[in-house]
Amino acid sequence: MLRGIVCGVTIVLLTAVGYGFQQPSPQRAVVNQYCIGCHNDKLKTGGLTLENADLSRVGDQAPVFEKIVQKLRSGSMPPVGLPRPDAATYNSLATYLETELDRTAAAHPDPGRPAVHRLNRAEYANAVRDLLGIDTAALDFSSLLPADDAAYGFDNIGDILGVSPALLDRYLSAAEKITRLAIGDLTLPPVLETIDVAKDLRQDKRISDDFPAGTRGGIAFQHYFPLDGQYLIKTRLQRDFLGTIIGITEPKRIDVRVDGVRVKLFSVGGERKGKSNDVAADYEYLSTADSILEVRFPAKAGSRLVEVTYLKDTVKSETGRAPRRGETIDGLDSVTIGGPYEATGVGETASRIQILTCQPASNAKSDPCAKKILAAIARRAYRRPVTDEDVRPLLTLFKNGQSAGGFEAGIRTAIQGILVDPEFLFRIERDPKNSAPGAVYRISDLELASRLSFFLWSSIPDDELLKLAEQGRLKDAKTLEQQVRRMLADSRSKALVDNFAGQWLYLRNLRTKFPDPAIYPEFDDNLRQAMEKETELFFESIVREDRSVVDLLNADYTFVNERLAEHYGIPDIHGSQFRRVQLSDQNRRGILGQGSILAVTSYPGRTAPTLRGKWLLENILGTPPPPPPPNVPSLKDDREANTLTMRKRMEQHRANPACASCHRIMDPLGFALENFDAVGMWRTKQGANPIDASGELPDGTKFEGPAELRQILLGKREQFVETVSGKLLTYALGRGVEYYDMPAVRKIVRDAAPTEYKWSSIVLGIVRSAPFQMRKRS
Amino acid sequence: MMIFKKALPRRTFLQGMGATIALPLMEGMVPAFSSSPGPADTATRLTFVYFPNGAIMNKWTPAAEGTAFELPEILKALEPYRDQLLVLSGLDNHPAQGLPGIDVSGEHPRASGAFLTGVHVYSKARDLSAAVSIDQIIARQFQKNTQLASLELGVESSEILGTCDGTCTYQNTLCWRTPTTPLPMENEPRAVFERLFGDGDSTDPAEQLARIRKRSSILDLVSQRASRLVGELGPSDRTKLNEYLEAIRDVERRIQLAEEQATRKFPTVKRPTGIPPTFTEHIKMLFDLQVLAYQTDLTRISTLQIAHEQTNISFPDIGLNDAYHPLTHHQGDPEKIARALQVNVFHSQMFSYLLEKLKSTADGDGSLLDHSIVVYGGGLSDGNLHLPTELPIVLVGGGSGGIKGGRHVRYPKNTPLMNLHLTLAHKLGVPLEKIGDSTGEISL
Repeated sequence: MLRGIVCGVTIVLLTAVGYGFQQPSPQRAVVNQYCIGCHNDKLKTGGLTLENADLSRVGDQAPVFEKIVQKLRSGSMPPVGLPRPDAATYNSLATYLETELDRTAAAHPDPGRPAVHRLNRAEYANAVRDLLGIDTAALDFSSLLPADDAAYGFDNIGDILGVSPALLDRYLSAAEKITRLAIGDLTLPPVLETIDVAKDLRQDKRISDDFPAGTRGGIAFQHYFPLDGQYLIKTRLQRDFLGTIIGITEPKRIDVRVDGVRVKLFSVGGERKGKSNDVAADYEYLSTADSILEVRFPAKAGSRLVEVTYLKDTVKSETGRAPRRGETIDGLDSVTIGGPYEATGVGETASRIQILTCQPASNAKSDPCAKKILAAIARRAYRRPVTDEDVRPLLTLFKNGQSAGGFEAGIRTAIQGILVDPEFLFRIERDPKNSAPGAVYRISDLELASRLSFFLWSSIPDDELLKLAEQGRLKDAKTLEQQVRRMLADSRSKALVDNFAGQWLYLRNLRTKFPDPAIYPEFDDNLRQAMEKETELFFESIVREDRSVVDLLNADYTFVNERLAEHYGIPDIHGSQFRRVQLSDQNRRGILGQGSILAVTSYPGRTAPTLRGKWLLENILGTPPPPPPPNVPSLKDDREANTLTMRKRMEQHRANPACASCHRIMDPLGFALENFDAVGMWRTKQGANPIDASGELPDGTKFEGPAELRQILLGKREQFVETVSGKLLTYALGRGVEYYDMPAVRKIVRDAAPTEYKWSSIVLGIVRSAPFQMRKRS
Repeated sequence: MMIFKKALPRRTFLQGMGATIALPLMEGMVPAFSSSPGPADTATRLTFVYFPNGAIMNKWTPAAEGTAFELPEILKALEPYRDQLLVLSGLDNHPAQGLPGIDVSGEHPRASGAFLTGVHVYSKARDLSAAVSIDQIIARQFQKNTQLASLELGVESSEILGTCDGTCTYQNTLCWRTPTTPLPMENEPRAVFERLFGDGDSTDPAEQLARIRKRSSILDLVSQRASRLVGELGPSDRTKLNEYLEAIRDVERRIQLAEEQATRKFPTVKRPTGIPPTFTEHIKMLFDLQVLAYQTDLTRISTLQIAHEQTNISFPDIGLNDAYHPLTHHQGDPEKIARALQVNVFHSQMFSYLLEKLKSTADGDGSLLDHSIVVYGGGLSDGNLHLPTELPIVLVGGGSGGIKGGRHVRYPKNTPLMNLHLTLAHKLGVPLEKIGDSTGEISL
């Protein structure tokens, strides 16, 4: 018996030190049963073996296990068809791995290291707007600076934003132009700026709220008037292929306004019908009658709204009836603004008031005032307190400019220096002096302030945020939360709509989407603009009303104007202004029912279920499919394929096993949206064949139509929230999300769950996360 | 008051300098006009013109080799230049092939990424990593004499989202100044014009000089601050700041040359006001600007990308509304092949416009074309199968006597494309030992 006890104790002892007779952990058992069949040392399927993976030390092999977690949470492993454990066991394995990974990360966070980050074009424009008080929407920024390269879906990724000689040239030119406009420069020569009206804009009705009531068509834009003086507005009307002005045989009235005040009302047209005996004179008139549409007027310097439109009650086609859709009606072709002529002064613009906070006592005693002005601007531009070392060289530039052209010329030169300074153009984060390589540290308050403002506003910190950072008060959690909420409520957070949503949802592509007019003749620029505005207003409502991000998929409202409502089949909406509507049509709810998304995921001539499926996997579910193999065949467009429906033609995807593994997941998602054509219109037939919007996922889930698809996606809401958080984190950090960020992403989702994933909770989660607040030394 | 209305693009021009976009920018033959005749007049210019997504090769490659060959359909437009034309067959660019275990796809970014560099690029990597491209290697030599080291142009805008796997950088550009500095390919004619001639309001030389001197003093300030900053940063952060300092040095070099060449007169040309509405007008305007740059000796080397690899643009100018990339995956369908062929033909017709301009521009004792080497080609041969081997490449120009045209040359199997680049560098007097996977010169 003693021997028995000794044996027993020995066994217990041996077990305790991990020898031999070990019972496998529940996780080990699951892995052995369901994974090792393929992922063993011999087969190494997919390059992975789990045969000897130590499941008690998951955190030590984070890259591998994060990948495994992703496969488990998206349900894609084991492959459908092979046995898998029941849902409870399956989930508990995933949860176990996540918990282990999170535990390790909490003990040893890896916040990554965003690169030195050059301002992209949007950030530069906003920074200039806030720094100098000049309305950058009134300037043509897209011609001042080139577009930026993108990665991970966004154009604010530090690693790939660099400076080439050509770009530096542009920065120098831009700085010159901007300072001459912001402060004013009497030596500015007159220029002519022509703004074109989109060729496919229908101008038979009022375009939008920006336009005066009682008008139709035309164009409205902010324009920067550089100086007090005389300006010229010249309007050109559209011509037909013969060169004659469309509709000029009927009289029209053209209304020109600046800041809402009428500058001139023209009467043009109707003097000749083109039916006289004098053909030459007729043609002369019909092709040049708009040359009278030129008005010269005085204006004060600054950003002003310019509107040129037709006064209504002049829409009459040649045959006297209202124009049918697709018929050519008259319209504005372009507006040219010229000036300043006979400039009388630099005026009192918003930017002058903001910049010139003092006047020099005299030319000889101008240094103190210059110093005051430049120090204030440098502080905001470099986003930190400035020292004599910063201001001294700016004073040198000031003196150079002053000797050539006076006090204001000097200020302009110095500000140009600031606008090309590396501490303006780059966001610099400094490692603490006495830290070891690889050490993880909390970034300074000033660095945090910059990250915050570029995240939420795509711009420099404002005075309040900068002050708090200078005082070291952003460390206080309450203050930080207050600031985040303040910044979200501020109108500058519209940048999130323009830059985050605009890129995440591919909205920017809408401007260059030109559906084939032969197949979709009803698509025009009015519809394009309306679609873009709908999704912008919708996304903005989620932010401003602090709704759940899941509402992006499921909200029961949207924003429409008459044109868009007509397109969606929503009755009784009149007028060009956008208003919120409750949606009774279940199929239109959320972004998947919005024309913008449906159009950017289609080809010019047909829908593309695979594109839509891919977009969903990438941007909603966070499980992007791998790229296609080469020699992929493409399909004919809607014109030629009226004998077969889209889905029948895509059966080829599933017939070929090499294609099937991905397409079995992608295509059904796209099929569910097949009722929406390539411009987002609802259809029940394609040619002669009824639309079949049914789909089946690899795991057997069946659904039909957008509403049921949406239910499936809502069933995966954590996955969706995780995807959105990952995208938002990428955007916030300016670098791609890596495996070591996943614990932070999971924490963001977990912490936002109690508020039902409200937008502010996600944002706060990001701001509080290790990757956002910390950095790793190289 | 904060106004957040959307900005609209506009075309801007100085009063009194022309109200419409007119083509060509210069009419007829404009004589060379640099102030001092000499080596500059007959220096050889190097131009690369690139087209994406491959070509229908059996309509590109002549049947016969040597001097008695017929130009197939795609190259028919180059018939007038036969005497200065070399069709080069059999060049491979193996670095553009995928690496097993790393690359699942990415044939397109690799094709353009490797075309002038000869290295493998990976668009899903975190950081950019290519190599100095051949045009930049040569530019570093040429820049001693020209204000612009080189000129990079592209027709397609870089603003479309969601089309790239990873980063789009390797498709947006062909040219790399350092392994991590891509050079943007400018597509706005007005921006190109301003890069060449500045955007000052006046053509008065004294004013221009004052302006560039002011820029010089600004650059002095910022380069000092940047140098100091570099010292405060970790090694991985220094790269960006060093790039910035490099850019400053390049601009300063230009300023210096501009001051030395201040007595030069430039022609009054119509300044472009925006992007022309059609592809044809757009590319012709960019070609005009390239020729202008050579004429004024502002640069001697330039690259133009007709469209990005994997581009989905369509070509309504020739009645083709299909997205181009899916079309080139014709899978043997004769109808699709015919349409893709139309695009190839269109592109080479556009290319012949450049040749025409070079030929009709006097340069020293001949024409610009006599003193040029123009490489026209693509990084893929079969666009359907994504092959970066047996590439479509032609060479046009007299090369200042260094090139004997009128031949179709076929190289032995596995001859690297980089050998061509190496050979060109040597012909232009640039001592280069190796680029990418080059093994030596080829006979031209």
